[in-house]
Order: sequence, then C-alpha cells, then structure tokens
Amino acid sequence: MLVAISVTSVLLVNKARDASGLVVHTVEVESQLSNLLLEIRRAESATRAYLLTSAPQFLAEYETAAANILPAADQLAKITSDNPVQVQNYAKLRAAIEHRLTEFARGIDRIKNNDVATSVKVLREGTATGAVRAIAEAGRDMRAEEDRLFALRTQAADRAQVLASSVTIAGSGLVIALAGFSVFLVRRSSRARDEAETKLRDNNLNLEAAIDERTADLREANDEIQRFAYIVSHDLRSPLVNIMGFTSELEELRSDIFRRIATLSREQSDSPLVPENATDTAEPLLEGADKQLSEDFTEALGFIKSSIGKMDRLISAILNLTREGRREFQPVRIDTRELMEGIVSTVAHQVAEAQANILIGELPQIVSDRLALEQIFSNLIDNALKYLKTGVPGEITVRGRTKLGFAIFELSDNGRGIDPKDHRRIFELFRRAGTQDKPGQGIGLAHVRALVRRLGGTMSVASELHQGSTFTITLPINWSAKRNTEKR
Amino acid sequence: MSNPVTIIMIEDDEGHARLIERNIRRSGVNNEIKPFTNGTAALDYLFGKDGTGLDHKGNALLILLDLNLPDTTGIDILKRVKENKYLKATPVVVLTTTDDSQEIKRCYELGCNVYITKPVNYESFANAIRQLGLFFSVIQVPPAAT
Repeated sequence: MLVAISVTSVLLVNKARDASGLVVHTVEVESQLSNLLLEIRRAESATRAYLLTSAPQFLAEYETAAANILPAADQLAKITSDNPVQVQNYAKLRAAIEHRLTEFARGIDRIKNNDVATSVKVLREGTATGAVRAIAEAGRDMRAEEDRLFALRTQAADRAQVLASSVTIAGSGLVIALAGFSVFLVRRSSRARDEAETKLRDNNLNLEAAIDERTADLREANDEIQRFAYIVSHDLRSPLVNIMGFTSELEELRSDIFRRIATLSREQSDSPLVPENATDTAEPLLEGADKQLSEDFTEALGFIKSSIGKMDRLISAILNLTREGRREFQPVRIDTRELMEGIVSTVAHQVAEAQANILIGELPQIVSDRLALEQIFSNLIDNALKYLKTGVPGEITVRGRTKLGFAIFELSDNGRGIDPKDHRRIFELFRRAGTQDKPGQGIGLAHVRALVRRLGGTMSVASELHQGSTFTITLPINWSAKRNTEKR
Repeated sequence: MSNPVTIIMIEDDEGHARLIERNIRRSGVNNEIKPFTNGTAALDYLFGKDGTGLDHKGNALLILLDLNLPDTTGIDILKRVKENKYLKATPVVVLTTTDDSQEIKRCYELGCNVYITKPVNYESFANAIRQLGLFFSVIQVPPAAT
C-alpha cells in the first residue's frame, strides 16, 4: 500500500516536473517568437531609416538584424517542432519572413543603386502585399497557440502538482495513521502478552496444585491397593488353616476308619486278629472294594492338600510382594559389577550344573537401593539359568552402559527364548509362558518390574523362541530418596 | 499345670478354636478351656460386670489371643489386660496368622508373653500347638492380683 503510494507520488512528481518543463517551454517559445518579430521590426526600421537617410550605420544595423532573423526563425522552428499546429503556423511565418526579407533586400539594393523611389515602392508594396500582415498574422497565431498551450499546460502542471501533493499528503497521513495503528497494536499485544504471562503463572500454580492433588490421590489409591492385597491375602490364610487342619484331621480319621473296616472284615472271615496296638501306624491290610475305597480316599485328600499348598504359596507370594512394596528404599552408591559378581557367586552351583558360563562386562556405578538391585538381577540371572536349552552349554552375558543420566543393563542368554506373543504375559503376576517343566509361581518378573518401576526405571525384553532372550533394564544413575519420600 | 489354671481362648474362627483345643488336649493338657469368638464377650468375662477385673482376683488365667477379631482388635484386648492391675500378671499368648514384624514388635512392647504365627501347614500348626501345650504344662501362672 505504502509502496504503491510512494510510486504514485514519485510518478506524479515527475509528471508535475514534466508539466512545468512544458510551461517553461511555452514561455521560451513565446519569447523566441517575440525575439524573432523584434528582429524583423528592427530590420524593417533599419531598412526604412536607410531608405530615408542612406546612412551606412543603418545598413549595418539592417544587416545584423537580417542575419539574426533566420537563425532566430530556425531556433523557433526547432523548439516548436513538437507541435503540428505550430509547425504549420511556422511554415506560414517562415514563408512571410523570407518574402519580407527578399523585399528588404530588394529595397536595400535599390537604395544602393540610388533608386529610392523604387525602393519606397517596393517597401510599400511589401506592406500592401501582405507579407507584413502575414507575419503579424502568423506571429499572432503562434502566440495565440502558445498562449492556449500555456494556459493548458499551466493548468495541467497545477493539476499534476495538486495531485502529487495530495497523494503525498495522503501518503504521509497514511504513514502517520499506520504508525499510530502499529503503536496501538504493539501496545495491545504487549498487554495481551502480560496478561497471558500472568495467566500462565496462575495456570502453572494451579497445575502444580492439581498435580500434587492427583499424586496424593494416586498415592492413596496405591496404598489402598497395598492394604487391600495385604488384608485379602491375610484373611484368606485363616480359612486355609482350617481347610488344611481339618483335612489332616480327616486323614487321621481315614486311617482309623479303614483300620476298623479291616478289623471288622477280618473278624467276619475269621482271619487272625491283628493286634491293634502293634499296627498303630502301619497300613491295615485291605482287600478288594475296601482297598479301592481307601485309595480313592487317599487320592482325594492328596489333591486337596496339594491345592492348599499351592494356594498357600500364592498367598505368601502376594504377602511378600505387598511387604516389598511397603519397604522404604535407601539410595546408596553401588558398584553394580561387584554386586553382579556377588550374585553370580551365589548361583555358582546352578551354573556348574547347567554347564553355563556367565560373562560380566563393564558395568556403571549407580546410586540406588542395594537390596532392590540384588533382587532384580538375581531374579533375572536365576531365570536365565533356569530356562536354558537342554544340552546346550549356557552363555549368559551382562553388559552395561550409560546414556543421558540413565544406566542401561542388558542381560542376554542363549536359552530357550520367549515367544513374542508372550512378552507382555511374562511380566504379569502368576503368569508364565513356554514349556512348564520348571517349578515356579509366575512371580519373579512381575516382582522385578515392580521394583524397577519403583526405582524410576523401565524394563523390556527382546526375544524369539529358541533364540535366547535379552532383558534390558534402564535405571536412573542418580536415584534420590528425596523423590521417593516425596512420593510416599 | 500345678494349680487349676483356666485357659481363655479368644479366637473368632471356630475351626481354628477346635483345632487348637484338640492339639492342646493331645499334648496332655487337661485344664479348662473357655472359648470366646469375639472380643466383647471375652472382655466382659475378663473384666466382669463392673469392668475392674476384680471377679478374677485370686484366679490363675492364661490368655490365648487372636489378633484379628470381628468387633475389636486383639491389640486392644492385650493393652487393656496389661493395664489392669488385677490381670496384668496374666500370661498372654498371641496366636495369629499375622507375621508382620511391626505387629509382632508392637505386641511384645505391649507386654505379650509369647507370639506365635499360625502356620498354614497343618503339621507345623499341630506341632506348634502341641509344643504350646507342653509349655503350658510346665509354666507357672500367678493368680490374678497378687
């Protein structure tokens, strides 16, 4: 917009200057015309004076004037060549002037030959023939034309100037308006920014408060779950004691009953009595259907007892987990390589049995909870040893590196591997994957992951069936108890 | 036991109560066992109508206490018994499923004499109770409010 205005303004100023130039040109033409006419008059008057007096100085004057006439006329022709009307007028004028000049020359010649009468006549004829009139007319026409042009051009120049100045004024006004507008905009945006800043600060405060609130809620919920798990597992134990207890009582009763049955059936078949006190603990001899009954009884009791045993182990596991969850962590500086070597030495027997080899690479030093780290790594190493491929010497490597404030540990084995579809499942409580040929409750990895999370880390597994597994654990190098106590 | 000691058994689970009683009997302890299945009834009996415990002056008691009760906690009962001037010398055996170390510590701090965790394994349970019975047969219990 401003550029357009500037360009227009420059163009208009140029146009105004051109218009002024034209006005000046017109004035020049007029003065040249006057000059020319003056020279003609001078020549005429000099001719007349010479005619009257024959004084040589008039002759000289005539000659100077006559000499000036044609260049003046040429000059006039040159500067009016742009105007066809003037060119036409000029042609007439030129013709008249040339005619007049010839008359003058003839007049002068006659005088030189002392033929004054003829000369006078010639000059008079000249006046009468209209060359003078033609000159005057042409001069008048040209002047009129130039006047017309002058008026026209003056007007045009004025218009152009007015236009230019008004455009310039408009431009300046616009600039001032724009400046005012931008000042206003800057003010407004800075005010908006200030307001936004205040709002942001408020929001931050609110957000922090909200986060604190949510964290408190989460903490409470977590504590609730912990308590819940604890109470549930606890209360489940109580009936379990009864089931187990009375099952055992039933077992006692069973031996009593079948002893009675054996005695009775023997009495019936008149076989020799077995002395009761001597066979208190020995199985009574039973036959046929009685024997079958006794075996069924024993089988049923056996299933009940093994199930109770399993349930008890699960409940104990949950209790241990909740207890772990409530343990306060103590951050200390730990040389993880040393820690790993300690763990490996405790499983030396299993390592030898599995013909395995554990390689420990360079491991970083970190600040964390020692017991938790021991549990994490011993669980993983236990798993690695437990699930090696049968008949293949185990190869377990532990590597470590640091990255952006985190220590990354990788435990790789060449064991049986884990099907990718089970990668989630293995971290779930009481879930296991693959061939179920080893004892276990499905707790180890769930526990490990819970510990890693509490230590502010993450863990993942990369594995294919029969291709070995790699467990990756990422832990903060500087885990602070402060963050922990803040959370709890 | 040399003098007629009454065993007060506060146990809300009747099955447990039955198993405990059987196993105590099996160890040859024939003292009277008074079972209570909730805290309120047990407290009524222990402290009497006036709530002072004066009723049991001169009686020898031994309390078998479960911590998880429906109406009150065993801890409260333990506290009140050990704060009562007539009953404070009475031996209290806490027999419960809780094996939380904090809980155990708290019970001993409050004056519990023996703390036993009920094992789920019946062999161990029966064993523990029988040994407790053997312990009862040699323990000297003072009469209340000496």
